[in-house]
Amino acid sequence: MTTILFILFAGLAIGCAIAMVSQSNPLYSAISLIGVFVALASLYVTLAAPFIAAVQVIVYAGAIMVLVIFVIMLLNVEHEEPRRKRLRFLVPAAIGMAAVLIGETAFILYSVQATESGVPRTVSNVGLTQSIGVGLFTQYLLPFEITSVLLLMAIVGAMSLARRNTILSSTARVVPGAQVLAMDIDPARAGKETVETETTAEAAHLLGVEFHSNQENGE
Amino acid sequence: MEPQLSWYLALSAILFTIGVVGVIIKRNVIAMFMCIELMLNAVNLTFIAFSSYFQDVTGQLFVFIVMTVAAAEAAVGLGIIITIFRNRETLDVDDASILKL
Repeated sequence: MTTILFILFAGLAIGCAIAMVSQSNPLYSAISLIGVFVALASLYVTLAAPFIAAVQVIVYAGAIMVLVIFVIMLLNVEHEEPRRKRLRFLVPAAIGMAAVLIGETAFILYSVQATESGVPRTVSNVGLTQSIGVGLFTQYLLPFEITSVLLLMAIVGAMSLARRNTILSSTARVVPGAQVLAMDIDPARAGKETVETETTAEAAHLLGVEFHSNQENGE
Repeated sequence: MEPQLSWYLALSAILFTIGVVGVIIKRNVIAMFMCIELMLNAVNLTFIAFSSYFQDVTGQLFVFIVMTVAAAEAAVGLGIIITIFRNRETLDVDDASILKL
């Protein structure tokens, strides 16, 4: 019975993973990835880890993938742009690297086959919420607390990234290399052409906004 | 015949390889981000399989922490993606090459 479930969900996971990589539309990739997450959660249940399976569905398939799909919808990118010319030696190099990777994977599989043994099916409390909670708050309390600090840093980082730069005007776009999009200078010239400037101050002057250098007044 | 530990490890290796391939061949930064999530999940499957095999809860605790790191990565990574799109009007990673020599 467990074998049938393993084959079913492993096939589902691999199929969804291949579909995810082969899709050109990021939205379909995201939905295939949700399939992978659900199949892995089902495998976690057969491996006697019901708590992790529930967290997998709630956190991964729920929270993270909703965030990814939200960003895909927000940025509204349908398809990948056609592939441009690349360096000549990239494709042979990629094939060679893929051969090395497949060889390594095959070696790992071969080494694992040498120590063949089944997963024990004894009844235990491993994987229940209680044992995980006891482990988190006794032996692994320090990693748990460090994780909370990491989450706080992620919140602060995401907010500072999403905030618009207020030194320039809210519509100005100055990339770090001091390239100015032409549409910001003159709406009539809206397009892909850019104007190169030497410094950010010069770019700000082109945009017609005030720019205060950090060194001058310490802002 | 019960599923062997090696079956789970093989599935994990296959999923990880598909994730690596995706990161290499994809040029959309969101698709690359999702392939990284797939690689994290492949590693999680290894942790859970070993945890079940050795009857030790430590592997599941590590999976819990990996999931938290993935959530933090999603928040910061998607913030970076939105910033790139706002500055460049594209999600193609080949266009974000300003640090390249």
